[in-house]
Amino acid sequence: MSELQLALTNTAGISSVMSFWVFVGSNVSRRWRELLVKIAVVVMVVGFAALTIAIVARGIEAQRFPLANLYESLLWFAWAVMGGYLLLQRSYGLHQFGWLASLTAATFFLYGSWLPASQHDITPLVPALVSYWRQIHVPPLLMSYASFFLSGLAGLAQLWQSGRIRSVGWALAALAMAATAIGLGTFTSVDTFWLQGLFVGGSIAGLTGAWLSLKHVSAKRVNPKAAELYDDVAYRCIQIGFPLLTIGIITGGLWANHAWGTYWSWDPKESMALVTWLSYAAYIHLRIHRELSAEKLSVVTAAGMLLTLLTYLGFNSLGFGGLHSYGKFK
Amino acid sequence: MRLTVTLLVLIAGTVLLGAWCPQESQVGQEKVIEQFGADFALTLHNLGIADIFHTPWFLSLIALLTVNMVACSVQRVFPKVRSLKQQMPYLKGEAIEKLAFSSKLAVPLSPQSGLAVLDAQLRRAGYKTSSNGTRLVAEFGKFGRLAPTVTHIGLLTLLAGVTISSWTGFSGFQMIPVGGSLHFGSSEHSKLWIGTLPEWRVVVDQSRREDYETGEPKQWYSDLTVVDGGVPVKKQQISVNNPLSYKGVDIYQSSWALDSIRLRFNGKERRLGLRQMGRLQAAFLPLEAGTILIFSVRNQTQPVRVFAKTPAWDAPRMLNQIELGKSIKLGNVEVTYAGLIPLTGLQYKCDPGLPVTYVAFGFIILGVLLAAVPHRQVWACGQEASNSQGGSALLTAGSNGDERHGSELEVGALATVGASSATRAELGSSGLAEASSSALTDTILSVQADNHVAARLGLNAGSTSEGANGCTLFVGGISRKARTAFERGLAKVLERVKEEVGETT
Repeated sequence: MSELQLALTNTAGISSVMSFWVFVGSNVSRRWRELLVKIAVVVMVVGFAALTIAIVARGIEAQRFPLANLYESLLWFAWAVMGGYLLLQRSYGLHQFGWLASLTAATFFLYGSWLPASQHDITPLVPALVSYWRQIHVPPLLMSYASFFLSGLAGLAQLWQSGRIRSVGWALAALAMAATAIGLGTFTSVDTFWLQGLFVGGSIAGLTGAWLSLKHVSAKRVNPKAAELYDDVAYRCIQIGFPLLTIGIITGGLWANHAWGTYWSWDPKESMALVTWLSYAAYIHLRIHRELSAEKLSVVTAAGMLLTLLTYLGFNSLGFGGLHSYGKFK
Repeated sequence: MRLTVTLLVLIAGTVLLGAWCPQESQVGQEKVIEQFGADFALTLHNLGIADIFHTPWFLSLIALLTVNMVACSVQRVFPKVRSLKQQMPYLKGEAIEKLAFSSKLAVPLSPQSGLAVLDAQLRRAGYKTSSNGTRLVAEFGKFGRLAPTVTHIGLLTLLAGVTISSWTGFSGFQMIPVGGSLHFGSSEHSKLWIGTLPEWRVVVDQSRREDYETGEPKQWYSDLTVVDGGVPVKKQQISVNNPLSYKGVDIYQSSWALDSIRLRFNGKERRLGLRQMGRLQAAFLPLEAGTILIFSVRNQTQPVRVFAKTPAWDAPRMLNQIELGKSIKLGNVEVTYAGLIPLTGLQYKCDPGLPVTYVAFGFIILGVLLAAVPHRQVWACGQEASNSQGGSALLTAGSNGDERHGSELEVGALATVGASSATRAELGSSGLAEASSSALTDTILSVQADNHVAARLGLNAGSTSEGANGCTLFVGGISRKARTAFERGLAKVLERVKEEVGETT
């Protein structure tokens, strides 16, 4: 990795951390809030620009499309989360959502930077990846993951603004357990059986808790306008993410058919992407038919976020195997 | 509808299980046992989880979903196409005020010219408008309403394509040494298969591996000749991601290995099988009295190294190395390295359903892309103000959603709609187009007013004009897709109208 690229990537990572703290800080004083939020957004824009250049530079340095292993995919994911937030910020004027987005980006940067050097280095491609289909298949998927993440975060914000503090707590606990499982799975050699249990068990318990505690409403925290806004944001993100996921899955099928003669082979990652697709299809049907309240739909988006996490990182770090490994890194 | 969601969730759960547990049909039972231990693997096998995509449970879920999808598509989704042709009804002032997003704006113009200004601004914002003079309707992203139809057509086509494939297609995999040939006799195909397997065969003329400088494989190549009726008809080099096609059958490079080494001992050729030893491949030739000759190769171009192991030595010792095509003397024997015989892994398949499947992919992608297009509807009405007010009142209101605003709608019925509640949760029951039985109910439900939005925009009540040339504009809205963006956009349009013609107070 060249100096320039390292500097740019670090700039992006540090920007995301900084903008997180500025967003958090903006809550301290009412007087400075507007200004601080503006600063945080500007910092985020700087980070986004740096990351864009970093990714392009990496592509030039490697003489190939810079999306070939876990580290590079994390850069893309963080890029999409930051870009997605900036877009939402522009069209919705979301303020307090920013610290969630920057925290997510920062977490993924941190995760990426902890990966061993072999992931950071630019390595030649294995035969299976030498294809123009790679740049058609992978970016839509990463962007859909990012959209689903933003949608899940907006769902949490919706729950918060509608006074479902307990549900938010449960959902965050589920997210924390899932993240712990992935962290342990990536960096330690804890038996994958327990990690899978932690991820799945934690998610089920957390989401059930979130669902059941929906009836506890902290009346003084209810902000119907904001809740409505975040509900709209969550749905909008899914409207963007779902087509991207569909395109990603289908182009994957086309690539597989081109390379191996079959467009579907029930590879674990394929199956998992299908699970995510089916879940969001269910969400969309629920949404269209208005069978659930906005709060329940928010819990569904949180569930979707966990499934996305499982599809994106869980399958590689929790030992599910299959064709779609991002290269060995343990 | 509930059934659809239940089925989707059940299928998702089943696939999740299938993703978690290695599938015997792909990796073999051995792998399942290795991962979970013999006892648990047997339990998984007996429960069907180890081959979940062929269990009656999964197949019947898919069948149920198919039936459900066909029924829903025909009953609810496809009829929506007709709604595209339907004209939006022109609404009068009171009806517009009851819409979820509504606002009043007073302008110093006649209803006709007021509407004309609004018309121009709406067009600028991308709306398609039509007007009958005193009333106006505008629509944005109408084709977005086709999304469910197109997606469902795509999914049904996909099912058709998959069915054709499984009934008329075949596939298989063979490892073939250079010089050998590929036949289709042992193909896999479904029980319901219709058709005959081809007679022609494919001869492997040459096969090689290309490495990166680090020794990692970069690409595998095989030179193939198609022999049909005893005559060579087609020659092609294939590689990973670059298959050969002949008479509807595609042949793919899917793996590669070294099979054996060709050596000549005093001119007499002998082939020795190669075994993987880390990154190297080695062949073993036992001689008398526990002595073994070992030939180790890295790839097709580098020389072979010759080692020997005798009972007296702890480890094999290197004796010499031989360049490709060269010879060396080992005692009184001349050993010649004549080359390596690669084994090429060829995957083949014939899939007549593929064109149908590709069409389905096209429809699905188009459908989901359309789903991101928000459908927005705007109504406006200019009303001559009464004498005490003077001027004209221009009323606009919008709705953004998939609701069917049938022209059969009795506009007056809108007036019966109750006031809005602010939370989305309760609005949740509004606008449930597809689920409700009649267009009337849909529209009534969708037409709840949302005073909050109007209040935020500061354009609402109170600004009603008293003086001459006064006029009032109502803004409000409900939207299913990107509601906020819609409301902001419409408010901006009204701002522009206000800037253009000025507001009377």
